[in-house]
Amino acid sequence: MSNVALAEKLAVIVGDRFVLQRDGDLLVYNSDGLPGYRRKPRLAVFPGSREETVAVVRALADAGAAFVPRGAGTGLSGGALADDVVLLGLHRLKRVMSIDQENLRAVVEPGVVNLVLNKTIAPLGLLYAPDPSSEAACTIGGNLAENAGGPHCLKYGVTLNHILAITALLPNGEIMSLGNPEGEIDGYDLRGAFIGSEGCFGVALDATVRLTKKPVAVRTMLADFTSVDSAAHVTSAIIASGIIPAALEFMDEATIKVVESSVYAAGYPSDAAAVLLIEVDGNEAGVSADRDAIEKICLDGGARAVKVARTEAERGRLWQGRKKAFGAMGRMAPHLVVQDAVIPRTKLAPVLRRIAEIAAANRVTVCNVFHAGDGNLHPNIPYNADDPDESERVHRSMGEIMHACVDAGGSITGEHGVGLDKIGYIDLIFSAESLRAMCRLREVFDPDHRSNPGKVVPIHACQEWRATPAGRKSPASELVAVSAESQGV
Amino acid sequence: MTIPLASAISPAADAVREVILEAFGGTIPLRVSGRGHWIDAGRPVPAKKILSLAPHSGVVDYVPGDLTITVRGGTTLREIEQIVGHERQWFPLDPYGSDDGTIGATVATGSFGPLAHGFGRARDLVLGLEFVTGDGRVVRGGGRVVKNVAGFDLVRLITGSWGTIGIVTEVTIRLYSLPPHPLTLALKVPDAPSALAQRIKSLLSAPINPLAVELLDAEVAGLVGLPCRPAILVELGGNEAAVNSQKDVIAALGGASEVFPEVWRRLRVLDDLAAGPATYPHPEPNIVLRISSLPGRVADIWNMVKKVLEPLPSARVHSSVGLGIVRCILPPSSGFETVHTLVESCPGATVVCERMPRELWPLISPSVVADKISQGIKRTFDPQGILNPCILGS
Ligand SMILES: Cc1cc2nc3c(=O)[nH]c(=O)nc-3n(C[C@H](O)[C@H](O)[C@H](O)COP(=O)(O)OP(=O)(O)OC[C@H]3O[C@@H](n4cnc5c(N)ncnc54)[C@H](O)[C@@H]3O)c2cc1C
Repeated sequence: MSNVALAEKLAVIVGDRFVLQRDGDLLVYNSDGLPGYRRKPRLAVFPGSREETVAVVRALADAGAAFVPRGAGTGLSGGALADDVVLLGLHRLKRVMSIDQENLRAVVEPGVVNLVLNKTIAPLGLLYAPDPSSEAACTIGGNLAENAGGPHCLKYGVTLNHILAITALLPNGEIMSLGNPEGEIDGYDLRGAFIGSEGCFGVALDATVRLTKKPVAVRTMLADFTSVDSAAHVTSAIIASGIIPAALEFMDEATIKVVESSVYAAGYPSDAAAVLLIEVDGNEAGVSADRDAIEKICLDGGARAVKVARTEAERGRLWQGRKKAFGAMGRMAPHLVVQDAVIPRTKLAPVLRRIAEIAAANRVTVCNVFHAGDGNLHPNIPYNADDPDESERVHRSMGEIMHACVDAGGSITGEHGVGLDKIGYIDLIFSAESLRAMCRLREVFDPDHRSNPGKVVPIHACQEWRATPAGRKSPASELVAVSAESQGV
Repeated sequence: MTIPLASAISPAADAVREVILEAFGGTIPLRVSGRGHWIDAGRPVPAKKILSLAPHSGVVDYVPGDLTITVRGGTTLREIEQIVGHERQWFPLDPYGSDDGTIGATVATGSFGPLAHGFGRARDLVLGLEFVTGDGRVVRGGGRVVKNVAGFDLVRLITGSWGTIGIVTEVTIRLYSLPPHPLTLALKVPDAPSALAQRIKSLLSAPINPLAVELLDAEVAGLVGLPCRPAILVELGGNEAAVNSQKDVIAALGGASEVFPEVWRRLRVLDDLAAGPATYPHPEPNIVLRISSLPGRVADIWNMVKKVLEPLPSARVHSSVGLGIVRCILPPSSGFETVHTLVESCPGATVVCERMPRELWPLISPSVVADKISQGIKRTFDPQGILNPCILGS
């Protein structure tokens, strides 16, 4: 079907205003949260209700047209980019459909912004725990599709642990309930499979989320260190001590300098080599004891000082610097490479040393700001993509860092997803056979690869999984080597 | 240099693959088994051969500071408890039954116990696994780190799939430090059924973070060593100050006393204690059902269930109130009528049969994988249907 004909068909469903096809109108949808990638959708459609969304997806199915679901477009792996396919924007589906205070549940549409949900339930003394630093903009649908994390996921768990049920719209237009608002799952955990599927299994039309009682008491601390090594060792020591902080975040010197010279200055010590932002919560007596124990671990481990926020305003300021650090980095240079690898928590110190060596050897600036308690690194590199020499050095560093993390026993992504950006690295951690299994799972939901085509699992890994027994050869021997460069990373 | 995880195939997977390829070639249905404890769940499986994971046990990788451990599928929960206990750590999943069950079976059945209140279920605690599909492919999902979104989530897919789409040969799980100051309290339950809802509500909405909250009927209370009247058990953990202050909050609700933590272990093995007269030498397994609804409905369902079971004095009922689960353990002789009445008396709730005599399964438990997507998954990962056929209903 021609673009014009398809646009007309969709306009009948959603109204002319909500179908975009002119280059100028589509400009903002050519990119997402990750600078450096541009892909132009063939057209964009923005349904205003659940019924319209279902009708749109059915029309797309009839036309055999591929599409990319999109929430707020804050994703950091290029997951919401539509390369000459239809972009299906879901941000208008923003009703909080119900709140069940007694049972700690809420049902929300996918376009509800994470922070809006939290502001809605805060007066009830409740919170929705997963808190990506992009909470002010990102949507619950995007969170669900990426299995988003956030600073407080260290104690409370990631999106997966907070979504009980999903109404899914499959790419062929069928509606299916996954999971169970009660929490019971008898049969395959299709809810679990759908969460984190990055829009490749269909569209989440609503989600039943678990709400959490707000803790009675919170202590937020800033520990400052003159060496990265000590901060890393202290992180491992806190985790090993058995205390589960609500959050344990790490910022290095480069990040501190960027934050402090921005409008988000948080009062971090500019001469520190690293700071740890540590939060504990629970009851008043308990958090005081945890605070004392953590302060001791920090000081014994070489911290210069441990500052405790005395007021809610001080706490807010400490957090603002951390949450806005990515944004502040964005101002350092026109482009930013965002890494998201995870390593075992005892490996923090050696891996951070290795990252520093890689940065020095390639003459790039790495800003480390990350969820240290989970071992989820974000070694980010601001740069100018128009400078070919610099680009080359940045991408080489990115590859070397990824390898260092995988060698340490880690994963290529902890919360941002594979999307387009990390597709060239996925066979560092999964065999060809495992990637094929993922591909076949996707094909059960989306046989024609029409929902977010080309993301997560590289096409070469999706070759036919014949209904004959697997050979006895090691699947590793079938591994097709794909370098990051050949994927355009 | 270590072998990259991506291409590693564990010896267990290699051995399992051998058996599967043979079965696949001849289309021989297999009954997958850990240490054989669940063979008695009674689920009808027309299998020609048992594939046991028992020989494949032991630790693959354990760095205490990472609070994760990777073990082979046939490792028992007891072995894991002993190994990580040396480091003052634990795997806070306490499925009903004995600790002689294997981690592979625990993950495959998605089993859990009272601690799911504080730590989540199996699906929340498994970080990575290796499995072998019904056509002999060795696949890995997840990884060994505590946070990971790389690739589609095969870990959640396999967890709770009852060995019907893959045989779990290796598992990485999340560990926790043992709570430095554990404390178990027993709370009185008001006699009037109408007061139960209020009691549960005030406990669940109190500013406390219990690890487990379990309502016991008089029968269960007696069997775990408490006075024979209904009680609510609350398990607390954390630093001493945190625990003491929660204890004060609970004490203020009235009728609380400290009890031995041993009650939890006793509660877990109740399924296996003959309910009613045991038939020697092969006592029939009890019937175990769990009825799930929202926490706010627990009191209603509890009262309803107690009424239905009134004529059966040896029936036992307990409830993970925060999870909305009421669990009934019935003598094997209870028969279709009782089970059917129970199911019918709780409209809107989800009833999961954990154990039943073979003949009841087709009558009570319809297939839970009848939808198109589940069917597609089954066909994809077990094209000839040789893995635990019919175990999830036919
Ligand atoms: C400054 C900044 C900080 C960030 N911090 C964090 C952090 O701390 N933790 C973290 O996890 N992430 C973080 N992110 C990344 C990003 O915000 C999250 O991935 C977020 O979940 C994306 O939500 P979104 O609504 O913007 O989704 P989008 O970017 O629009 O889409 C992301 C993916 O979800 C799919 N999708 C969207 N909606 C649906 C739906 N309804 N159904 C099916 N698929 C859908 C898309 O196809 C795409 O693949 C950060 C981003 C920025 C810019």
